[in-house]
Amino acid sequence: MISFRVDGRSGVPPYLQIVQQVRQALRMGVLSVGDQLPTVREVVAEVAVNPNTVLKAYRDLEREGLVEARAGQGTFVRGRPPGPPPGTHSRLGRSLARWVREARQAGLDDESIESLLRVTLRADSAAWDSDSEEIA
Amino acid sequence: MSAVIETHELSKRYRRVTALSDCSVTVPESRICALIGPNGAGKTTLLRLLAGLARPTGGAVCVLGGAPRQDPAFLAEIGYLAQEIPLYRRLTAEDHIRAGAHLNPRWDAVSVRTRLADLNIPLDRAVGTLSGGQRAQVALALTLAKRPRLLLLDEPVAALDPLARRHFLGSLTAAVAESGGELTVVLSSHLIADLERVCDHIILLTESRVQLCGDIETLLSEHKVLVGPRKDTSALERTHTVVHAVRTARQSTLLVRVGGPVFDPAYEASDVDLEELVLGYMGASAAPALAHLTAVGEEQ
Amino acid sequence: MTWLVWRQYRWQAAIAALLLAAFAAVLIVTGLRMASQWHSLLTTCTNSSACGTVSLGSTLGQDLVVLSLAVPVILGFLWGAPLVAHELETGTVNFAWAQSVTKARWLTVKAGWLLLAAAIWGGAVAALVTWWSGPRNAFYSDQFQPNYFDQQGIVPIGYAVFATALGIAAGALVRRTLVAIAVTIGGFIGVRLMISQFLRAHYMPAVTAYYNPLSGYSPPGSAWVLSTGVVDKYGHVFSGGSGPEVNGVPVSAIPAHCRSMLFTDPTTLSKDKLHQATSCMQASGFRGFSTYQPAYHYWPFQGIETGIYLALAAAALAVTFLIVRYRDA
Repeated sequence: MISFRVDGRSGVPPYLQIVQQVRQALRMGVLSVGDQLPTVREVVAEVAVNPNTVLKAYRDLEREGLVEARAGQGTFVRGRPPGPPPGTHSRLGRSLARWVREARQAGLDDESIESLLRVTLRADSAAWDSDSEEIA
Repeated sequence: MSAVIETHELSKRYRRVTALSDCSVTVPESRICALIGPNGAGKTTLLRLLAGLARPTGGAVCVLGGAPRQDPAFLAEIGYLAQEIPLYRRLTAEDHIRAGAHLNPRWDAVSVRTRLADLNIPLDRAVGTLSGGQRAQVALALTLAKRPRLLLLDEPVAALDPLARRHFLGSLTAAVAESGGELTVVLSSHLIADLERVCDHIILLTESRVQLCGDIETLLSEHKVLVGPRKDTSALERTHTVVHAVRTARQSTLLVRVGGPVFDPAYEASDVDLEELVLGYMGASAAPALAHLTAVGEEQ
Repeated sequence: MTWLVWRQYRWQAAIAALLLAAFAAVLIVTGLRMASQWHSLLTTCTNSSACGTVSLGSTLGQDLVVLSLAVPVILGFLWGAPLVAHELETGTVNFAWAQSVTKARWLTVKAGWLLLAAAIWGGAVAALVTWWSGPRNAFYSDQFQPNYFDQQGIVPIGYAVFATALGIAAGALVRRTLVAIAVTIGGFIGVRLMISQFLRAHYMPAVTAYYNPLSGYSPPGSAWVLSTGVVDKYGHVFSGGSGPEVNGVPVSAIPAHCRSMLFTDPTTLSKDKLHQATSCMQASGFRGFSTYQPAYHYWPFQGIETGIYLALAAAALAVTFLIVRYRDA
């Protein structure tokens, strides 16, 4: 059974954090199709957030097609978020770990690594967009 | 949604002290409402007026469709938890449960026993020997066993450690979730971080007056913090309201209630969180004149 | 609500019952002994002069009976003062008032049971003391006298109920147990003194009897003598008080020519001389008088005084209701 964490300081609205954590759990294989999500009551008892927050998150997930609410029974996982197969994450994670080790040995601190990652992501999305435009 | 609480220019004066003046607030049904304000702002007075334990000296108050009164039917719908946890120290939790069964028309003893069992709180020990957090949980469970429609909690977590606070708020939100929209909560506290997680409505009181009352998400979307060079704000104030301004020699930080989009490129606009909003309004009421004085002084 | 009151105060009730039982035990034992003393006195005593030298009583019992005068005050501050004050101080009122119980019902049930308990306790003590005093009353006939009047009959019930109601009201007013206790003790003692010293003598009109001056008249039975002395032909009253007296008449009131007949030697007084002095005073227009409440006023007085205290208790209770209902804590 998944357990949630809501970080009040992260700047991400609580309901979105729950949505992201469900998606992540699905990607990681912690949740599979057919599993039941904890009830609203169970979530708030542990995490102490407004019940509407959880309701909103579950509704969003339902709209995305990831979960479905079955009357009288609870909320169940229906599908997986689009994306690469589960193994991909661990494989990429390992190569990333190697890269991070290399960066550290080269003398980069965490902040420089993060900023390098951000710049690269941005540049890459820009390139991706322009590629897509060309293709389209 | 109908309003569970509606007050109109409510005021309360004790012989020489005005505890509340001109309070007009609305709380819709099934909300968890935060009641925030500095000590002495009138939070306890407001809660007691809503519970029917005190009577207003001016204005009107309407709770659950009628004026609060000393009437068992009304009292059964309200769950009031005073700040100093009101339990008989020498009696056990079980005694309190039995007392509640005798004193209330609706009483869910099973829910109390289950709740306390889940929290590992013994029923047969004198309540005075339990820890502060456990006592608060017992008091909350007893208040909920009445199946009230409105919960009024006066600083229930003030004396609790962080873990006990988390458990208490967890129990509270779980009760709201279980009630299926029937339960409305007003809780007063100083801990804005807790309130931000749990509450969706806010009433802010300073110096016996209401500064803010409304849905938290809406209020946050209506306010922005503008940081920019120190300059005259009259142009800005034509469309927006400056709630609170902190001015140094060169820079202004303004908490603004926006009336539309902010066009001035000199200011960098950012969203506010609940803490900034509350502190801004509290700061504004505490020393509005002073802020202006500093501004003038430094200008010269 | 009754369940809660019982649960809160059951230990105190038990202790009170135990104390009452102990009190009763001592009184019954000493009282039975006194009763048998009295019976043997009645059978052996034929000559009034022989009876006059016997005393009747028991010191332990007597001490307890005098202590019983304090019972109402103790009830007042021990039970009455904390009833409302303690709950206001500790904030536990907010438990009951948050349980769909109106302030009025909360106070009615708590105060009602407590006052009933006070009346029963006071009544039990009064009944025991009255029974115990039977032989004493028959012998000394002093049950109408101040202090003895206060211990017997039904007035102790009135005192107990009033002291408790006063305690409850004080507690509701000052909201702090210790201060309420002080106020209760002070208030109760004040009221008791005022009523017994200034009011009691006037419940019903007193009877004045005239007699031979210096004859030492004593009204019959257990009458309560309010004042005694002589009155001259002009209506001036000379009643006893301080200074030397002869049969209740101050020596200073006796006219000089009669006085010289009385004392040939300042310390001896003979019956003969008394007779002469009496005729002398009568000739000068003096009459002896005694103003008293007759014995048949005893029970009416008991009733009136009890009624007064019950009325005061009701007033205190009404004040308490107003305070609790209308003052916002």
